[in-house]
Amino acid sequence: MLDHLPMTRSPGSHRDREDQVTTVCQECSVGCGLLASVRGGRIVDIQGDEQHPISRGRLCARGTAFVQGLTLPERLVRPAVRKKRGGDFQPLDDWKSGMDLLAERLRQAREKHGPDSLLIGCDLEGGLDFHLGAMRFAHLWGTSQVFGSLGQPLDSWASGLDGPAAPCSDWVHSRCLLLVETDLAATHPVAFAWVQEAQRRGAQVVAADALFTATLAKADQTVRIKPGQGNLLGLALTKIILAEGGQSAQAVEAGFKDAAGWAASFEQMSLEGVEVALGISLEELQHLARLLARSGPVTVITGRSLANLQHHRIWRTLATAMGWTGQRGGGWYPVEAGTPPFAVRADAGGEKSKAKSEASPTLAEVRARGNLQAVICSGNSLSEYLAPFGLAEDIGVVAHFGSFPNATWERASMTFPAALWAERDGLAFSNDGAVQWGAKIVEPPAECRSGLDFWMELARRFGWEAHFPWATEDGRGDRAAFYGWLMAQSSCTAGLQLNQLQSVQPGSQIFWPAIEGALPGAGKFAPHAAPVALASGSQAAVTADYPLALQMARSSCRSGDASRFWPWTESLAREDAVQINPETALLLGIENGDEVVIDTPQGALPARANLSRVVPRWLVASYKGMNGDGVNGVPALVHKIDQLPDEARTLLKNLTP
Amino acid sequence: MTTHAKRHIWLVEASRCMGCFGCEAACKMEHGLPGEPRPVRVIQAGPVGKGDDLVMSFQPTSCCHCDRPACVLACPAGAMQKREDGIVFSDLELCIGCQTCAVACPFGVPQLNPASGKIAKCDGCRTRIDKGMSPACVVKCPSGALFFGSPARVVHEIRIQEALKVAKAFAREEGEPV
Repeated sequence: MLDHLPMTRSPGSHRDREDQVTTVCQECSVGCGLLASVRGGRIVDIQGDEQHPISRGRLCARGTAFVQGLTLPERLVRPAVRKKRGGDFQPLDDWKSGMDLLAERLRQAREKHGPDSLLIGCDLEGGLDFHLGAMRFAHLWGTSQVFGSLGQPLDSWASGLDGPAAPCSDWVHSRCLLLVETDLAATHPVAFAWVQEAQRRGAQVVAADALFTATLAKADQTVRIKPGQGNLLGLALTKIILAEGGQSAQAVEAGFKDAAGWAASFEQMSLEGVEVALGISLEELQHLARLLARSGPVTVITGRSLANLQHHRIWRTLATAMGWTGQRGGGWYPVEAGTPPFAVRADAGGEKSKAKSEASPTLAEVRARGNLQAVICSGNSLSEYLAPFGLAEDIGVVAHFGSFPNATWERASMTFPAALWAERDGLAFSNDGAVQWGAKIVEPPAECRSGLDFWMELARRFGWEAHFPWATEDGRGDRAAFYGWLMAQSSCTAGLQLNQLQSVQPGSQIFWPAIEGALPGAGKFAPHAAPVALASGSQAAVTADYPLALQMARSSCRSGDASRFWPWTESLAREDAVQINPETALLLGIENGDEVVIDTPQGALPARANLSRVVPRWLVASYKGMNGDGVNGVPALVHKIDQLPDEARTLLKNLTP
Repeated sequence: MTTHAKRHIWLVEASRCMGCFGCEAACKMEHGLPGEPRPVRVIQAGPVGKGDDLVMSFQPTSCCHCDRPACVLACPAGAMQKREDGIVFSDLELCIGCQTCAVACPFGVPQLNPASGKIAKCDGCRTRIDKGMSPACVVKCPSGALFFGSPARVVHEIRIQEALKVAKAFAREEGEPV
């Protein structure tokens, strides 16, 4: 192998420090290594950990700048309540009185309206312990209405994954990387550095997305598809590859249950309508399929929004059928799927244990029931994915658990200040499936508590402390004990010891599954069969009323609550910007910076025009979605604030598709 | 002026830059700066082109640390200086925030820091360099687009990388692992 160690950089910190903490960045799920210099209980410098196998000392903007959030003047540091919506928050002396009040209000709601009057929304910033604690509490309470940041229950988070991907450092052994609807360059730059490393070693980088993202800009080949149709692309590619005999017969035989039935389903599936659904030509598809078929091993990297859409498992099926899985540099790498499924409810009692088979409802179903009286939300979950479902309109109790004032906090009747990840010990699961112990760097402000603390406090008020048995002497959550217990709750992490993770040698990593063959989907599996027709239900219905489509896309300097409050990000990119293609804008008479309105069947959103060819003519992209991350191709119309919607409709008739 | 002081160069291989703004953040945190100024700035060019045939590139930029810096000549307070090793920096103890340097600079590099009322510009991370460390932007850049070192070493590095590209292409042609 031809290799060359790049020119050494000279890392280090020149700040005076009393202590240096080696830990893991938890701004996102890449899992980069951090060295934090601490003096007087404050972080004085952050450097990357040169020994860390994922990040090799590199850090992105978020990994460097999260420190600003810890000491921001706007940070929420006191529990508080307010009597009426829109009124001022009255700070409370401590958590005790706030928790007493919350428990009382919840009890009342439950007595009158039953257990399904409560819904819990979990934001990534609340931490894994908040999410898992919520599931356990809800189980005891008797509801399954716990939703994660994708608007989906955590149970289905890992479905279709069945096992972690090989680490991103393995991409350098790939001959081709196919990135589908993931802007890794903007969202996970340190992981994207491995894509570039692979590219320099000769791997073809192919990126498919609706937007011309930074990732597409760095790719060797780009495929512009309709938003949210990535899995459909997978089906179409599989069909073409099978028709041309490009699969590995041996891998199909070894990997699949009922391989013949699976192959037959693809023979029956027609490619009719695929060009319209995907927005690309059949020739382009064939070209891509042939490229993939001849360039194994290929790693397919898919974005997290695809996990909630139909046919997600086609990627695992394709990677296995081609024989890529198991080869170094080959396989399927779904982003944001590195956390194993945990059975956090199994040993808890509660009403729901009687009805284990009951499937969790969708948000739309919860709304239809119209029975909600109370919501508990971490971070900005209410605004990001619950409010668009109309779930907060007339609800009396809205409890917010978070670190910064945001739209959820504005709507809340009570607020509990949260410790940030740098202020709490915990397990960090990387996209790769690496299990790392993230040691806390500094102590949280006096009244800021962890998600585990939140649920322990609340459970205690209902007499369920035996189900949350991880208390230290001062009544706070014993995080080491909790995570030690947690690892035993999944066959994927059972057998791993906390002290193993805490004392891992520099430069090495521990991955789940800890025991070979412990994965739920190990061995032969049922491959994803082809549907009869390719027409997809999630396809935006472009109509005369809404001739455009709206997609939510985050700018690289904005991610979650904390970054929204970094003093400098605000001045770098407007949060209310909407990207419009210059040709579309020209038709509508919209200029850069104009005040516009994005109209959708779900409602209207005021925004500022940002003309850019990042979006195709028929698409507009907003940082602020109507519906958090869930927005992919919602029908939309854009018009100037002083222009009638019908006027814009008439003008857009001249838009060539 | 002939000098024996060790000189460094900061080299940008823009083709590697993915526009993550890691360098900008690293600089801001190193020097405690607000939103503006941005001593290191990634300029996004594009996307430009027709239909789906688009190009977008990112160019990290900073102070050129000119051989004959106009800002140093213009500074009335003697704050703007050029070190023996080539770094052009503003001594904040002396800076009066008059921005004459900003007017004099042909590239518009010096900017006023509204938080301090003084000029902020790239000082080559002189505190770090003096302790043998690379500048903050170079150390943290995920893509490896930024190089820092003596001119001889940086040029050597670029040559090796170009040679490797060719060698790897040959190896691929021969079907050998690269």
